[in-house]
Amino acid sequence: MNNAVGPVFRMGDEVELVVAAIEDDNPDTEIEVTDRGAYVRVEAPDRLRVTQESLRRHLGPTFEIRQLQTMLSAFSGRISTTSEEIVWEWGAGRRERLARTGGEA
Amino acid sequence: MTLLKREEWQHLVRDVDWTYSYVDDEAVYPEWLSGTGKVPRAAWRTWEEDYKVSYPEYVSTQREKETAAYAVKAALQRSNAFDELSEGWKSSTKMHYGGVALVEFEAVLGELKMARFGLNPAWRNMAAFGALDEIRHAQITMFFGHEFVGRDPQYDWTQKMFHTNDWVAISLRSLFDSMMVTNNVVDLAIQLPLTFETGFTNLQFVALSADALESGDVNFANMISSIQTDEARHAQQGGPTLEILVEHDPVRAQWVIDKAFWGSARAFAALTGPAMDYYTPVEHRKQSYREFMEEWIIDQFIRTIEDYGLRRPWFWDEFMKGLDTWHHALHMGLWFWRPTIWWRPTAAVTKADREWLQEKYPNWEAVYGDKWDVIIDAVNAGNVEATLPETLPWLCSLCHLPCCNATLGRDGRWRVRDHSLTHNGVTYHFCTNGCRQIWWKDKDTLNSPTVIDRFLAGEIQPMDVGGILNYMGLTPDVMGDDPDYAWAAEYRDRVTTTPLQVAGGAQA
Repeated sequence: MNNAVGPVFRMGDEVELVVAAIEDDNPDTEIEVTDRGAYVRVEAPDRLRVTQESLRRHLGPTFEIRQLQTMLSAFSGRISTTSEEIVWEWGAGRRERLARTGGEA
Repeated sequence: MTLLKREEWQHLVRDVDWTYSYVDDEAVYPEWLSGTGKVPRAAWRTWEEDYKVSYPEYVSTQREKETAAYAVKAALQRSNAFDELSEGWKSSTKMHYGGVALVEFEAVLGELKMARFGLNPAWRNMAAFGALDEIRHAQITMFFGHEFVGRDPQYDWTQKMFHTNDWVAISLRSLFDSMMVTNNVVDLAIQLPLTFETGFTNLQFVALSADALESGDVNFANMISSIQTDEARHAQQGGPTLEILVEHDPVRAQWVIDKAFWGSARAFAALTGPAMDYYTPVEHRKQSYREFMEEWIIDQFIRTIEDYGLRRPWFWDEFMKGLDTWHHALHMGLWFWRPTIWWRPTAAVTKADREWLQEKYPNWEAVYGDKWDVIIDAVNAGNVEATLPETLPWLCSLCHLPCCNATLGRDGRWRVRDHSLTHNGVTYHFCTNGCRQIWWKDKDTLNSPTVIDRFLAGEIQPMDVGGILNYMGLTPDVMGDDPDYAWAAEYRDRVTTTPLQVAGGAQA
């Protein structure tokens, strides 16, 4: 996959639910999931995001997006974190997006 | 009550910078520690971290991580999980505990240096969290390793190793002192968080967790992958620092990354390489060391530095070729000089192992097979003594690892070549061109004699193997040995190696 970005999650009961949330948040995106037992690599070309809303739908209404940090062992690409979503993308893509949205993360 | 979102208030509490009236900026951020160099002081105002965290979030999240890691440990403590681990896998963990525990503590000092001398308040804030992270890592590593001291004294080197003059300790101190202690914070942020923590630690803490879990060591897999979730956050101090440095001084940025990359690659070939390709039992190996390196370093890390506008390091060809040789030679060295290490290295060259090695590394038999055959024949002849060291290998003046890397010559033969240079009348020897080049450029700041230098200077007495082991702090209950030589028995029927013929007809 070219320009692959995305998270690497450590082993845990909730990884599949997080992957389902990521799939909801990135429709029409080719997502590749590599399961190596103790870790799971989730990748998409150029950009991948996950929102608190989808995480709550899959993991329960009290799930806070910061809790994803307990599972996130690594990632490729650059990360942006807000209270609503986490985005992984490459520098060039991010610069374009920031220029388009006037600096909103 | 609706709380403000983090992004609505964080900049107010985080960006605590002010203009000094009693002292000048240089007094607060001296160049030798803050290291702005060619970057204008004002350029650091744009430093902004990507992976944000507030203190309340930090405390809640860290508490959850700790609770989970210790819950697994407590549950497994009552099982016989440890007794069922193979000696080979246990060696991977002993090497990890001794090699890592106090490096984590050294990283506390590195993070604190950035928390004090970093050139932007957001950076200093993030480094303060980094220091808390590294305290956790030093403690959890020490605590998990300590559990086994009563069962096996080699685990005592979790805490002891870094304080000894063991050659591994000298090698690691030399690398990490240059990465965290003797440098300024700009170089530190690029060497430690960026190169080491977003690159190489993934190999030892995430990739190796896959082998750990396959080997049945749930506790260890759980601990190391939990540690890396902290690294994933505080490693993000590297990106914004690099972005600013690349803009104003790309040559320095490239050099600092190249140097840290090379030092890390050498150290990981010695530690992670043997753990993945030899100590992890063959049936449990998730991928080869080379494959894990391709996944985490070749693909992921190189893509990252290219994203910041930098190139692959100048030594790329030598490094890539080394993926097929460095760790195999170092594994053989660790096994041969086994009394100098604090674990029991499995030779891991059974027929099944060799088939796997040959498949993963098509030159393995050509380069290493005949050397292991000599060892196999000696073991099967009941002559284990012939497989034990009588002296020391030559150690590289930069990485302090044995000079043992075979390269393929134009004549089609594999040879270990000497890479040397003479400076001020002293000839120094290096394991690779990369080590020689870095030493030359950094020669005015390096002052770490190898064990060989110390031996030749008469610092190690008596000048024999016993004296060397004593100098390294190794006691008979800790020094390494093959856990079970029976592995060689399956080769008993092989035609043994012809004794070497030397001039005059005598046999050597």
